[in-house]
Amino acid sequence: MAIQIVMDRTGDTRHEFDVADSNAVVLAEERFRHLTGKGFRAVALSGDGGPGKLVDKFDPHVEQTLFIPQLQGG
Amino acid sequence: MERIRNLLRVLLRRALSEHGREAPALTDITIERASGRFEPRVGAHFANGYCTWVPVRPDDCYAVCERYAAWDLPSLRRALLCEAHEIYARMCAEHWAGVGRERRSMAALIFDRLRRRTRHPDAAGHARGDVETVRDEPDAIPRRRQETPRRLLEWWAEQRSDYARSALFGTGMSADIGSKRAQERGIQLLKENLSVAQRQQYDKYGHFDVTGGKTGKRYRIRHGRQMNIEQLDRNGRRVCGWCFFPQGNLVSGDVMLAQKAALELFEGDVLRIANRF
Repeated sequence: MAIQIVMDRTGDTRHEFDVADSNAVVLAEERFRHLTGKGFRAVALSGDGGPGKLVDKFDPHVEQTLFIPQLQGG
Repeated sequence: MERIRNLLRVLLRRALSEHGREAPALTDITIERASGRFEPRVGAHFANGYCTWVPVRPDDCYAVCERYAAWDLPSLRRALLCEAHEIYARMCAEHWAGVGRERRSMAALIFDRLRRRTRHPDAAGHARGDVETVRDEPDAIPRRRQETPRRLLEWWAEQRSDYARSALFGTGMSADIGSKRAQERGIQLLKENLSVAQRQQYDKYGHFDVTGGKTGKRYRIRHGRQMNIEQLDRNGRRVCGWCFFPQGNLVSGDVMLAQKAALELFEGDVLRIANRF
């Protein structure tokens, strides 16, 4: 199972999908495109607190993808 | 017991009054021995790095020592922390209830004014003492009287979304910074993505250090949502502060995680948009 974690006002919303399920993968890819199109940055989490990796293209094999909303200066 | 509790209340009240709606989590209580001219003192440390002290006398602590069988400083510190957590939880609850009452009464006042002015615009105009203006500009007052309810309704429409997030509509006082559950989820997500050292540092001091992915510079992210990043030099001294955060009014855990990821993965991009202070 892979998971997409979207930061939002509730803390986060998690979308799990089965990599073997092609429909779920298509939906996950749509979600990826939709969010990155809105300015979210996708980060493949390392799981051990390491820096992770910035993801530009959808990869269903990334275990945990974190979506960070667009950043702004304060 | 009441003497030491009162001292703890003084410390905790300071944190609540300093930080208002974002009451920081209590992380530690420390006791400093008397040194030179200085009396022994007890300090409260909070998750956002805030720390406050109050002088303490040995006889203030006798009751708590007896109750918790705490006969050395570490066990006394643990006992005080235990007491402080209980007191702080009650104080936070009272604080939120007070803010809630204040907001509800303010909202009730606004509703009342809005209703009166909408139903009786003339009376409201006279009540505000607009009669003098009528003498100067005969046409101005009727026009203003007609506009007042409309302008109030427009203003109310603008404010409605803000109020909808407040306790007035039962969604929790801190909804603008996330509900308690959201705050917890945010902190949980943050902790899941901190290294062991960063997690220990955050739990102990309310901040953690990250290394910039591009420059290798060291940054300290303090618990918070804005103006909470410091750039440190090799000796750990502050060079400057940076302010940037994700859009969408996220909870503090999410904000800190976004700041960590940004500094580690796209430091150059983010420092271009960040404000230095």
